[in-house]
Amino acid sequence: MTSLRIWKHFPREDLYECYQCARCTGSCPAMEVAPAIGPRETILKCLNLGHHHVVEDERLWLCCTCNVCEDRCPQKIPISDLLVALRNSAARRGNIPARLVLAIELLAKTGRSMIVHQLDEMRAHHGLAPLPPAPIEEIRELLNKTGFKEVIEF
Amino acid sequence: MKETESLTEKTSELNDLRIGVYVCHCGKNIGGTVRCEEVAQFATALPGVVLAKDSLYTCSEPGQEQIKNDIREQGLNRVVVASCTPRLHEPTFRAACRSAGLNPYLLEMANIREHCSWVHLHDKDAATEKAKELVAMAVGRVARLMPQFEVTVPVARKSMVIGGGVAGIQAALDMADAGYKVYLVEKAGSIGGRMAQIDKTFPTMDCSICILAPKMSEVGRHPNIELLTLSEVQELSGHIGNFQVKVFKRARYVTAECTGCGECITACPQLIPDEFEAGLSIRRAIHIPFAQAVPSKYHIDMHHCLNNQGIVACDRCFQACQKKCINFADRDEIVDLEVGTIVVATGVDVYDPTPLTELGYGKFPNVITTLEFERLINAGGPSGGELIRPSDRKRPRKVAFLQCIGSRSKRASPYCSNVCCMNTIKDALLIREHWPETEIYVFYIDIRAFGKGFEDLFQRARREGVNFIRGVPGEIIEDINTGDLRLLGENTLLGSHYRYTMDMVVLSVGIQPRKDSGALQRMLNLATDTDGFYMEAHPKLRPVDTTSGGVFLAGAAEGPKDIKDSVTQASAAASRANILMSKGEVTIPAITARIDRDKCSACGLCARVCPYHAIEGGKELGYFRVIEAACQGCGACVPECRFGAIDQTHFTDEQIVSQIDRVLANKPHEKILCFACNWCSYAGADFAGVSRMQYPPNVRIIRTMCSGRVSPTWIERAFVGGIGAVLVSGCHPSDCHYNNANRETARRVDRFWKRMERAGINKDRLRLAWVSAAEGAQFAKVITEMHEALTRTPKDRIHKEADKLREFLSKKSSSQ
Repeated sequence: MTSLRIWKHFPREDLYECYQCARCTGSCPAMEVAPAIGPRETILKCLNLGHHHVVEDERLWLCCTCNVCEDRCPQKIPISDLLVALRNSAARRGNIPARLVLAIELLAKTGRSMIVHQLDEMRAHHGLAPLPPAPIEEIRELLNKTGFKEVIEF
Repeated sequence: MKETESLTEKTSELNDLRIGVYVCHCGKNIGGTVRCEEVAQFATALPGVVLAKDSLYTCSEPGQEQIKNDIREQGLNRVVVASCTPRLHEPTFRAACRSAGLNPYLLEMANIREHCSWVHLHDKDAATEKAKELVAMAVGRVARLMPQFEVTVPVARKSMVIGGGVAGIQAALDMADAGYKVYLVEKAGSIGGRMAQIDKTFPTMDCSICILAPKMSEVGRHPNIELLTLSEVQELSGHIGNFQVKVFKRARYVTAECTGCGECITACPQLIPDEFEAGLSIRRAIHIPFAQAVPSKYHIDMHHCLNNQGIVACDRCFQACQKKCINFADRDEIVDLEVGTIVVATGVDVYDPTPLTELGYGKFPNVITTLEFERLINAGGPSGGELIRPSDRKRPRKVAFLQCIGSRSKRASPYCSNVCCMNTIKDALLIREHWPETEIYVFYIDIRAFGKGFEDLFQRARREGVNFIRGVPGEIIEDINTGDLRLLGENTLLGSHYRYTMDMVVLSVGIQPRKDSGALQRMLNLATDTDGFYMEAHPKLRPVDTTSGGVFLAGAAEGPKDIKDSVTQASAAASRANILMSKGEVTIPAITARIDRDKCSACGLCARVCPYHAIEGGKELGYFRVIEAACQGCGACVPECRFGAIDQTHFTDEQIVSQIDRVLANKPHEKILCFACNWCSYAGADFAGVSRMQYPPNVRIIRTMCSGRVSPTWIERAFVGGIGAVLVSGCHPSDCHYNNANRETARRVDRFWKRMERAGINKDRLRLAWVSAAEGAQFAKVITEMHEALTRTPKDRIHKEADKLREFLSKKSSSQ
């Protein structure tokens, strides 16, 4: 089961150090603007309910991985590592927002995660040279090697 | 000199050994498993034994009487009691020997209960055989024991208290009232410490300085107390009962005639942030720390005075002083003290929250710490007791307290600071009392109201409308125009995000060990715990003693404490010191190390490993010697000597080797030889016995005071003699009863492993295990594991490896 593999990538014991002070969620910019789960609740759910409760929740993707929670955590819990591990598991179970799938498809096709023709105009306006072509082959290889193929068709 | 003479006299008279062996049944405890009559019968045949008896309860009155009678009538000059652990009844049997006229150090015990009958309940034959061998080991050792005479050293009836906070004040008063001379050494210009800075105390809401000031004045006028302010301990030598101290006393520049009129202050042109007011106001270079200061005399902070270059550039204070008490020629001095005991009451620092940038302390004026808040609401403080906020000096309508700032955090201090919860509740109630319309929010993680009257105070605060919100803000944002503060965070109980706008935020900061605590730690040879506080000798049963004799701890220097606990501990420390001083002398057990001056090459290796700095000497002197009063008898120095010049009294090489040789005499390849330290591992093995944890009977335990005494030559001898396996066990690192002497154990075992590797023998046969007195199960587990490994090792391989080691060692010694 893919779900069990999370604790291979993230030491579960680290979570036991959490005493729910909520400095993380209090610092979370995603919580400010969207109904995200919040790091404190994520940790608590992993501990008390099992991490599948989080992995199956699409709100997991509202985190913008700014790492401020980790910066301010008094117990030095590597929260961003936990979130990456959880998202990895979520994506493998099909819990991944369509817009992210699109971005990855775009990356695989064009070498960039966004459409950049307007950017070239802006750069020309400021006297900058157009962007060099993206190394598409290399990026595709990287995506293959890092296992993106297992999650998303591109 | 007298002792040595009587010692040689006794030795010659003891050449004719007359050993008595007493095998105890302990009811069924031993007798139910070990065939005691058979063991006694076996003992009669051992060399030097003139009689061997078994009795039902040897520790009972008749049992002891029998030993005494035999000493008198049969002329016994050595006694072996095979019964329970020496940790239990050694004092009993030693007293019996003494009362019958036999030197108590001529007694040896064989532990056939905790280490034999109780742990081999189901194998009577093996238990009996093991008991026989334990008795034989004891007989071999007792034959080599020497009479010892315990030395008493005088204790000077004077004490030094370091630190003049509430703990130091209490300890000084308790000792002075008992009639002993006390030197109270204080770094600042006045005694009083942290308590003098605080406005009110919890849970009773007493005015802090009102209850402290009378005690301070009592110190000031007490005939037995000599107060040394602006002073720090600079150098310290000596040992229990007799410490020589050099105290560095900074110049006051104001003579004793000062009446404290204060005319000089207005004259002084120098302005400096006032430390006592937590930097919230200013003071002059000439100043008095606070109104109630003791001594109530001014002094010049020369660091900030215009005359700090040694020339008189400004004499305004001199001009202003009518009594002409200013003396710019005053000089720092060294005061020499001789004391018998020392109480360390150096207190704590408060956490500086500047590194937590998200809270904005130091950047936003309205974010303050609890200590600043205490000064702010104190009637004697910079605002005259008016609650105002620093940015606009207006009264805040909404005040927030943030808990656990700098406590319970891997980014600051990992421990709970013990006092902050109640301090915040007290402060909240104070605001409520004086300015009832103020809204108060306490942002907490856990409220720890554990003490007497604490929960009451907490409930009172809730009833009075203080808002307690579970969840510490992640961030504070300042409104630049108004100075108001926005707190962003999560209310974890509601599971919702909050934004509060506050007028003022108080950070409830934790407490930390003094930054300069290391200097005193080295001078006094104290241990510190992982958090940096001074460590007590035993966390439960010797909570105010330190591992250095005659040195006691009081107050928060030992760990975060409130006023009540500090005072309690100070009185305890004073009473412990009073015991020493009232007796006037202290007995040192005769287990100290001794150096043979003729063999000593003055290399000084022993002095380097001594955890008590109890070995002194040098190349100039030509030898090193042990300061008997300072030596605690761990024996860690003995294996360090390459010339065999050191030995430990009552735990000599010869005595221990006789025990080893006895183990090697019969089927050594089947046995595990265990060296266990008296305090942890031997006690751990005892605990395994008490708990009836069964383990294989092929282990033989030899007791030393500390694992640091275990000599590599013993391990060598055991392996060359064909022992199956060797276990060296001691206290856990940093838990050592001899100030981390077990670091030497680890180092020596490590070196021996390397030697085993070079000699080509299996290094797993030597094991090092830390076993505490509570880890009976761990001891049984280690022995079981070692036994299993041993059963897998064929006999001829052990013999082959013994030969290899012998060859390796002889090659090594011939090449040298």
